[in-house]
Amino acid sequence: MAYKAQYGPGSSIIAANRRKYMDPSEKLEKVRDVSDEDLVLILGHRAPGSAYKTAHPPLAEQQEPACPIRKIVTPTDGAKAGDRIRYIQFADSMFNAPCHPYLRSYLEMYKFRGIDPGTLSGRQILECRERDMEKYSKELVNTVLFDPARTGIRGCTVHGHSLRLAEDGMMFDMLQRCVLDKKSGIVKYVKDQVGVPLDKEVKVGKPMDEKWLKAHSGIFHSLVGVAFRDDAEYVEYVQRVHSLRTKYGFMPKE
Amino acid sequence: MTDAIYPQVRIVSERLLNPETVERLLNLIMEEEGIRRVLLNGPRLPSSVPYGPSKGIVNPHDMRKTIKVGEQEVELQVHVGTILLELENRDVIPALRVACDQVFTQFAYRIQEGRYMKTAPTTSDYAKYGPDADALILGLADPSSKKGPVILQGIK
Repeated sequence: MAYKAQYGPGSSIIAANRRKYMDPSEKLEKVRDVSDEDLVLILGHRAPGSAYKTAHPPLAEQQEPACPIRKIVTPTDGAKAGDRIRYIQFADSMFNAPCHPYLRSYLEMYKFRGIDPGTLSGRQILECRERDMEKYSKELVNTVLFDPARTGIRGCTVHGHSLRLAEDGMMFDMLQRCVLDKKSGIVKYVKDQVGVPLDKEVKVGKPMDEKWLKAHSGIFHSLVGVAFRDDAEYVEYVQRVHSLRTKYGFMPKE
Repeated sequence: MTDAIYPQVRIVSERLLNPETVERLLNLIMEEEGIRRVLLNGPRLPSSVPYGPSKGIVNPHDMRKTIKVGEQEVELQVHVGTILLELENRDVIPALRVACDQVFTQFAYRIQEGRYMKTAPTTSDYAKYGPDADALILGLADPSSKKGPVILQGIK
């Protein structure tokens, strides 16, 4: 029987969103257009338009050992050019942010190549070759996975995931990298991801409304969204995994 | 040490509060008699970046402002999320509720009764204030901070 990936259990909208985001055959819906230059400014690794710094000579210029694996695996563009490794890190509010750290790592592993995701409770870091990272970042920022108010691009000082929102609906950020313009209603990044002030503001669009967030969220939340306990199929699956891994600790003999 | 007979309450709002909201609420609360101590809690907003690649550079933040409570200026160092109050007696609580109802019109809040302030000095308090610390200021200011608590004049 041919195996067909299911990506995850659950009958709730949250579970359906998680499956949709993880499935590499599903194209993520594009909702905003942050330009390459603007994204490079937020990332803060290089000046827009400058050359990529390298960690080693391009693969075509160096002698590679005879290795069957190197013949099978096609290097990514960044690896081919010898780019250095850089990162982007996201913090997601638990108040119905579209994505959350574990889901990010799962979907990135399904969709992207040559990456090293780091997953923590309230933040998730994606490390890879610089030009690949910029390409992937664009997809992560311009699609449904990002909300200007509930998702933050934060290289450090990430605290905010589990805190109450501010009065204007923005997630707490000690460095206030992005601000909500009260007149236009647009969120602007005024600092790069590590908190260095930018020469020019980067607009990332209007925060999504509650209805949209509830329909696109990947996080269970009993007060502001869908409660985990309301998804019986998900609970059953998690309990089954928990039970099996606990029993396996005792080396059961069947 | 805090005398256990004084009731304590905390005001918890659904959102973290803007300085203007805190100012409005505190001015309403301070009109009432019978409030001994107030503590503003929330995530800290340092004036310069304390760690990370941009350590040391100034950290402008809209939520770190100086507000005016009565005639006294109070420099906020946190994004206020919870307001702890120690009262002379429980009779003040209905007035607190009225003040909160006036200010929190866009989102919910809750007033809870319990023990929220320090009752004994910690090692840090001992290092900062010594063995004869004034029990009234325990827990009202960060012991590692150079600034002490603000004393609101002319309330009584």
